[in-house]
Amino acid sequence: MLATRALRLVGKRAISTSVCVRGGHGVAKVEDYTLPAYFDRRENPLPEIRYVQTLSPEQASLKEKEKGSWAALSNEEKIALYRISFKESFAEMTQGSAEWKSIVAGMFFLVGFTGLIVLWQRKYVYGPVPHTFEAEYKEKELQRVLDMRMNPVEGFASKWDYENKQWKK
Amino acid sequence: MAHPSQLGFQDAASPVMEELLHFHDHALMVVLLISAFVLYIIVAMISTKLTNKYVLDSQEIEIIWTVLPAVILILIALPSLRILYLMDEINSPLLTIKAVGHQWYWSYEYTDYEDLGFDSYMIPTQDLLPGQFRLLEADHRMVIPVEAPIRVLVSADDVLHSWAVPSLGIKMDAVPGRLNQTAFIATRPGIFYGQCSEICGANHSFMPIVVEAVPLEHFENWSSRMLEDA
Repeated sequence: MLATRALRLVGKRAISTSVCVRGGHGVAKVEDYTLPAYFDRRENPLPEIRYVQTLSPEQASLKEKEKGSWAALSNEEKIALYRISFKESFAEMTQGSAEWKSIVAGMFFLVGFTGLIVLWQRKYVYGPVPHTFEAEYKEKELQRVLDMRMNPVEGFASKWDYENKQWKK
Repeated sequence: MAHPSQLGFQDAASPVMEELLHFHDHALMVVLLISAFVLYIIVAMISTKLTNKYVLDSQEIEIIWTVLPAVILILIALPSLRILYLMDEINSPLLTIKAVGHQWYWSYEYTDYEDLGFDSYMIPTQDLLPGQFRLLEADHRMVIPVEAPIRVLVSADDVLHSWAVPSLGIKMDAVPGRLNQTAFIATRPGIFYGQCSEICGANHSFMPIVVEAVPLEHFENWSSRMLEDA
């Protein structure tokens, strides 16, 4: 009995047809996310519902005029009708923002800050490097690497010209 | 050994390593091409002005992007398996050396003809002679004759170690209680460095492997001298 009455209301579109009617036990709560929603999406150009749901009297009379010949509508009226149906135009919804500038600025700042931390670490945290990093030692190492013909095919020693005692051009 | 900021492999000193170099070039090229292609697709998808981006069904491209990756995988797998079986081929080694990992040094045993065995400890940084490589030099090198097939039996005395020499294309785990066999031929004379490749305790980074490939007479002189010194 209750279900029949509820169904008649549904038939009159007084309540949304996405309502779940539980036989004899009443109607389940209607959640917002189950109802058709408005959205502005480039890949889905036609939203499910109009943007402006409750029309003001001028908008309502404009909608009546829309039922007639469209050639009789002025440009402002056409734009007003568009704004009733849609929130943003294609150009407005696809435009970018200036957010990238603040992102890049933040990125540079953090990189600089990391650099400061690294410099501080090198001065105050780490001990001295081994003596094998001294320039004189590195020269002797380089000489030894070349004398031993390390990687002579395509690697290190292959880049040294042994006849003229210099790097190959 | 590798030079600072080196990106690629060291030059090959054995035929297997040469094959691995070429295979790596091949596989890396495939990977680079696929990555470039995917990057292009991503950029194209993001920067397109088209509105209809949701295609729901297309048989042709589905066939292509199923068959083509299968073909690419086969093109990678065939050379890979070839090298895998190449490494396992029957060779007749002229010399068998046992490399045993300890905490934290290697010991080498040449027991084919006489009983020669010695330990190989890393030379500490403060004891290096000018020009020697830090953390890579050892007091006794594993000397082998050049251009001779060598068999190495790798094992360990205490915990897991791994005997690795990149320029020879060798890495073999040293497992206590187990003998792992690997073989190689050094195609050119020289000194080839490697480092222990399985975490084994505090000094895991300080037990390097140094292989010295020399002509046969030099090898004979060296082994006689080592036997006298022992």
